[in-house]
Amino acid sequence: MKRILMGAVAAFALTTGMAVAEYPEKEIQGIIQWGAGGSTDTVMRSVTPHAEEILGGTVVMQNMTGAVGAIALNYVADAAADGYTVLMGAENPMLYKIMGLGDKDYSEFTPINILARGTPLLVANNDAPFNTYSEMIAYVKEHPGEVRFGSTGPGGLPSVVTAMVEAVEGDLDVIFVPYDGDGPALTGLQGGAIDVMPAVLGAAIEGVKAGNMKALGLVDVARNANLPDVEVVAEVNDGYNTYLPWGPFFGVFAKNGTPDEVVAKLTAAYAEAAQNADFVALMEGRGFTLMNISGDEAEAFLSKWQQGTAWLLQDAGMTKASPEEFGIARPGE
Amino acid sequence: MTALMDFFLVFTQPQLFLLVGLGTFAGVYVGAIPGLSVTMAVSILISFTFSWDVYPAISLMIGIYMGGVYGGSRTAILLNIPGAPSAIATALDGYPMAQRGEAGTAIGVTTVMSFIGGFIGIGVLALAAPFVSDFALKFQPRDYMLLAILGILLVGSLSQGSLVKGIFAGALGIAIGAVGRDPLTFTERFTFDLNLLNGGISFIAVMIGMFGVSEALLQLHHVDKDAVRQKISRIVPSLATVKKHLPLSLQTSTIGVIIGALPGTGGDIAALMAYDHAKRVTKNPEVPFGEGAMEGLVAPETANNAAVGGAFIPMMTLGIPGDAVTAIMIGALFIHGLNPGPMLMIEKPDMFWFIVGCLVMANVFMLIFGLTGIKLFTKIVEMPRAVLIPLIMLLSIVGAFAVNNAVTDVYWMLGFGVFGYFMRHYGYPLGPVILGVILSRLLDDNWRRAIISEREELGRFFWGIVTSPLSLTLLVAVILIFVSQTPVWRWGKSKLFKES
Repeated sequence: MKRILMGAVAAFALTTGMAVAEYPEKEIQGIIQWGAGGSTDTVMRSVTPHAEEILGGTVVMQNMTGAVGAIALNYVADAAADGYTVLMGAENPMLYKIMGLGDKDYSEFTPINILARGTPLLVANNDAPFNTYSEMIAYVKEHPGEVRFGSTGPGGLPSVVTAMVEAVEGDLDVIFVPYDGDGPALTGLQGGAIDVMPAVLGAAIEGVKAGNMKALGLVDVARNANLPDVEVVAEVNDGYNTYLPWGPFFGVFAKNGTPDEVVAKLTAAYAEAAQNADFVALMEGRGFTLMNISGDEAEAFLSKWQQGTAWLLQDAGMTKASPEEFGIARPGE
Repeated sequence: MTALMDFFLVFTQPQLFLLVGLGTFAGVYVGAIPGLSVTMAVSILISFTFSWDVYPAISLMIGIYMGGVYGGSRTAILLNIPGAPSAIATALDGYPMAQRGEAGTAIGVTTVMSFIGGFIGIGVLALAAPFVSDFALKFQPRDYMLLAILGILLVGSLSQGSLVKGIFAGALGIAIGAVGRDPLTFTERFTFDLNLLNGGISFIAVMIGMFGVSEALLQLHHVDKDAVRQKISRIVPSLATVKKHLPLSLQTSTIGVIIGALPGTGGDIAALMAYDHAKRVTKNPEVPFGEGAMEGLVAPETANNAAVGGAFIPMMTLGIPGDAVTAIMIGALFIHGLNPGPMLMIEKPDMFWFIVGCLVMANVFMLIFGLTGIKLFTKIVEMPRAVLIPLIMLLSIVGAFAVNNAVTDVYWMLGFGVFGYFMRHYGYPLGPVILGVILSRLLDDNWRRAIISEREELGRFFWGIVTSPLSLTLLVAVILIFVSQTPVWRWGKSKLFKES
């Protein structure tokens, strides 16, 4: 009896050991939080094929949109923690709790790789009566209630950038015109429906290069090789150093509780894939800053990002619930 | 000279040639199944074609796009179930034709007209893309709002019989479209604190239910009746027929190209507007509209295929998508190492001419595949109802699930199916519901954008309208169309004629 039991235990240990060793033994489902053709989608679809080669398996990517990405997040959170369902997402979940959009964020997930970060910038319609960030601030102060800023709803990149500008420069008396995404807003900008739009470099770079819109300033600490002549807000006002560098990011996440071996395998695959020359060229051409971080480094990045952004929005009065309620500490506390 | 070579690339390389053909063929059938949309097919193709060269990948996608836009008309004519929102108007006159046994003729006409519309769209793309995109950019939020109001006035054309019932149906559609988180402020609307309502109601699910399931339920009344025998002797329309409708098809193609080129509006709105236009300009149709008028097929089918070329205009010149499919193609170009944007046409003109070449090829294939295999397709309507009805139900369920891979959408679809059945039973038209759902967001978002940009002052808002030539033209169009549907107009007209 004892021997049989021992045998069973040994067999069990062996099979589980083997199952892990063989990961992936079936298709991995990659759930993309945003729609086909968007930034998150293109980043994930560019890097994953390289990771597939390294993993020796297939990752079937699927776009699951809705509720600012919460539907995809909940889907992966409800799936088994076996590494066969991974989340391919952007920064949005870090704000779900304070914006009242959901009760889960990336703290329920293990970061496999935070691939890249976007650099925000302020662009303006070519006919706008200012050419740089400093000129814009001066103009807005002289002409209250005249300049139209595009926005994409509370929690979106423009709202965070605007909150940052207001925190540093004082309140701006401008009109905020809401759009349902940076694409439509940038289209409106070119047609003159709005004057200024905070956008991510990747979305605006081609338009700026072609002279269809002008870049006022990069919301970053250092100048960017893609637009070397554009001024950086931190040069103009020291106050920005408190919040910067900041930017939307893209990452691959596995549910907490996924076996360590699986996480290690996925992490190794994506870390190598993110160094692929094609992918690097693609990201740089599009104005994304490569990060390729995982493990503790990624966790630290996430919590710093969440603290800074959550409190910025809280102080701007845009949140539904205080970050305190969820134990998100004020930066520096 | 090199432009010409890039243009002919697709014709000379057998592999590309075959891929366009394969794509178009697949597109016709994907488009014909409600719920399986071109957008979905193209987004699946992105990961599928990742490791390919950019040329074959684009060839296949363009084939699917062209074929899919056309394919939606098939089921609209044969089963009264539009395969895609852009085929809703096609069902209004196509299905009555099929009921008379003229499905072959109807499919023939739609195919040839789609071909003509497609070519006009491609022609404008090739010859005047920069001008059209400059024009499209001029549309301000208030202009989109006026366009949406113009669209809502179509309720008059779409409600056969009682206008009051039509208005009710349209209002219902607008309300359905407003459910969910408001995209501008994230405020919940009509969600009753239910999580499943946060994302809104998928309008594809509404469409499949309203048209598919309600049709199946309605057919249950006639399970024992014999199916209509289809005459399929004359499929290709005679030259005289084509010639007769040429002026109308040119007008509706223009509507298609412009609406297609506007970012934010696509083939669905274009087709409905074209149908309305046809109804307005056709003085004496051989058969009344709604009972199988040829003009009712010509207009939407030319318009929605012309919108394909139109949608490529802002994409190629500015990197701005003209519709959902071109949005995904922009992503595809990016993945293949190109930077879609205003510089694309300057840095890589070969890509532009290659895409034009593919579109031409796809359009030709669409004509070929459209005119063949009709016999097989018409057999569908001749099937015994006991087989056909379960088949419709099955397709509706698969289609609704496929939209978001969510079972919730299947429940919505079934619910709206039963509701749609009762609406039809009591003579409420279904077209305006879908029209309302499509236009709800366009109207709501742009009205708010427009009034917010004017610091919420109505005076400044109206001043903006009357001082912009574009807005003023649209406003006049709205007023004219509105007045022409009221008794005041008829009274004024009769008085005018008496005096002269």
